[in-house]
Amino acid sequence: MKPEEMKEKVVSSIKAIEKAPRSMQMYMEICAKCGTCASVCPIYFGKPEKRYNPAERSDLVRRIYKRYCTMSGRLLGSLAGAQDFDPGKMQEWVEMFYECTGCRRCASFCPFGIDNSVITRKGRAVADQLGLTPKTMLKVIQVSLATGNTDNASPAAFKAAIEFLEEEMEEEHGGTKIKIPVDVVGAEYFYVPPSGDVLVNPEATMGVAKVFHVLGMQDRWTMSSKCFDGANYGLFTGDDKSMKADNKAYVEEARRLGVKVMLMGECGHAHRIMKMMMEKGRWWGDLPFSIINCMEWTAQQIEAGRLQFDKSKNAQPVTYHDPCNFGRSCGIVDEPRKIMEASCADFREMYPNRAENWCCGGGGGLSAMDEIKEFRMEVSGKKKLAQIRETGATYVATACSNCKRQLTQLMEHHGLEIEVGGVHDMLSRAILVDGKAAERVSYD
Amino acid sequence: MEALKFLLGVFLPYLALLVFVGGMLYRLARWKKLASPPMTLYPAPPDEAGNLKNLLKETLFFKSLFHGDRWLWVLAWLFHVVLALIFVGHFRVFTNVDAIFMKMGMSEQAILAMSGGAGGAAGVIILVTAIVLLVRRLVVQRAREITSVADYFALALIGLIVFTGDIMRFSSEHFDLSDTRSYFAGLATFSNVAGDPLLDNGVFLLHMTLALLLFMYIPFSKILHLGGFFFTHQLIRKN
Repeated sequence: MKPEEMKEKVVSSIKAIEKAPRSMQMYMEICAKCGTCASVCPIYFGKPEKRYNPAERSDLVRRIYKRYCTMSGRLLGSLAGAQDFDPGKMQEWVEMFYECTGCRRCASFCPFGIDNSVITRKGRAVADQLGLTPKTMLKVIQVSLATGNTDNASPAAFKAAIEFLEEEMEEEHGGTKIKIPVDVVGAEYFYVPPSGDVLVNPEATMGVAKVFHVLGMQDRWTMSSKCFDGANYGLFTGDDKSMKADNKAYVEEARRLGVKVMLMGECGHAHRIMKMMMEKGRWWGDLPFSIINCMEWTAQQIEAGRLQFDKSKNAQPVTYHDPCNFGRSCGIVDEPRKIMEASCADFREMYPNRAENWCCGGGGGLSAMDEIKEFRMEVSGKKKLAQIRETGATYVATACSNCKRQLTQLMEHHGLEIEVGGVHDMLSRAILVDGKAAERVSYD
Repeated sequence: MEALKFLLGVFLPYLALLVFVGGMLYRLARWKKLASPPMTLYPAPPDEAGNLKNLLKETLFFKSLFHGDRWLWVLAWLFHVVLALIFVGHFRVFTNVDAIFMKMGMSEQAILAMSGGAGGAAGVIILVTAIVLLVRRLVVQRAREITSVADYFALALIGLIVFTGDIMRFSSEHFDLSDTRSYFAGLATFSNVAGDPLLDNGVFLLHMTLALLLFMYIPFSKILHLGGFFFTHQLIRKN
């Protein structure tokens, strides 16, 4: 692309901020450059350099906005903090916006509540319009739109994986058949996990199946062989069109199945898009079903005393990492703890936690980018690594496939013998089915 | 000289008022018009009452900053509270509010002591905090590396206003508030104040000019957070 053409596209995309949304325009105008965002940012903690300062990153957009959309910037130029776009810096632009995990921790502490993740998403959207989205990210989106899941798995492969899980559970529980219903029209609950919880770390899905089984509700839920992956990378690349297209397939599938409840799995951004963005923003109008998370649902069952556990099955020290999208963006923080405390003998908190938790360093889709693994291991994940070490835990549970991948790599990279898994994984190992917990086979 | 006095002492006050009020209304109207998709950040208050309470905490105590950067909080909170106090205190400069205090049972001496004590202390505290905030910008890396000319300008402008104000307050020369009161009464009633003897006071003229420039600067600068603040916290804390 010619530099002039590039500049024209970038400038027109940034000029669009004048039209919407409100947050974006205000963030362009009122940042006081106090540096508080930097002091609470996991990236800046990992490497305190100007490039990693959230306000500096956001200023990439802000400077151009001021140059073209404010009177002071047009008249006074750099004196008013305005600067023209330099096409020669576009590569750096892309890199910098993929060095923010969009964890929104800055927004929690900014005196004005400026959410830099909104600006990061805009910066990525600008890159996306120029076709400069990192290839790894682009590929995930293409695969997801083509197959309905980010793992490029066919319905047949999915069904085979489910059969395998059913066999595993039968073995674990001495011949008791625990069902995972698939494509059942008329079921009440439609379970939508991340595909990783079926294909990579399937214990979470087994845990959910066991809960339904114990409740005697084994015929009242279903999965879909077409829609078994809530992951939606359009959120990460700033591509609204893909995000909505990906989302629509799931809403339509829920309608087709006629379910009453969409039960989102242990995937933070999937739950956030479905509950906080799609439902709240009424993307597809009225919905004939409600949306809850499987952790909320299971926690309710535990509170009602419907589930029993053998905590000795999880004797090791365990901690919980709050995925940013669950903690800060969805307010789901008590439920995973209820499940962990019910199923683990030695549950330990890391501090700070819940809505103030530090990001794992792989948020915003970064976890999938192997080309920046060094950065994730040495910079963005530095604080999390220290936090986990302090707990002394040998198992870190978290409810997000991206967090899991980042944390697993973080432990390996730094030579720590700490297992990483999900919340329902721990439940699956300790829940009593017909009075007995699983005789667990090793999956390693 | 007469032309300058007219420009700064008669024309500028009206212009500044127009620019400030017009500019702020323009901003507020623009913000209000823009679509605002849900972007809740937790913990979010469950209802409107809780939301209002949260906004009050942010406004009065800078709650988020308190948890984010304690040192900056001390500086910023002192700076803004004292600034608000000074703003309110200036009503004594514009008009005779002493009558209200007297009705509340305060003696003239008590009012003067309050003005001298609280006002004097405020004049010192705000100068000190402004200087420390400036030093912080120069010394603390995470602030220095994102600071631009505009940020130094805003701080310097406020610093100069405070400094000239302090000169008037603390100089041995008596500054008579009845002079300012008659001058502002003249402005308010659109009388001709071009020949007002107050405008011969160079320090006063400079102080007021800088203050008026600041007011005109607000709608077009980051000091816009004066009004934006209330919106941005609502954006993320609305459930």
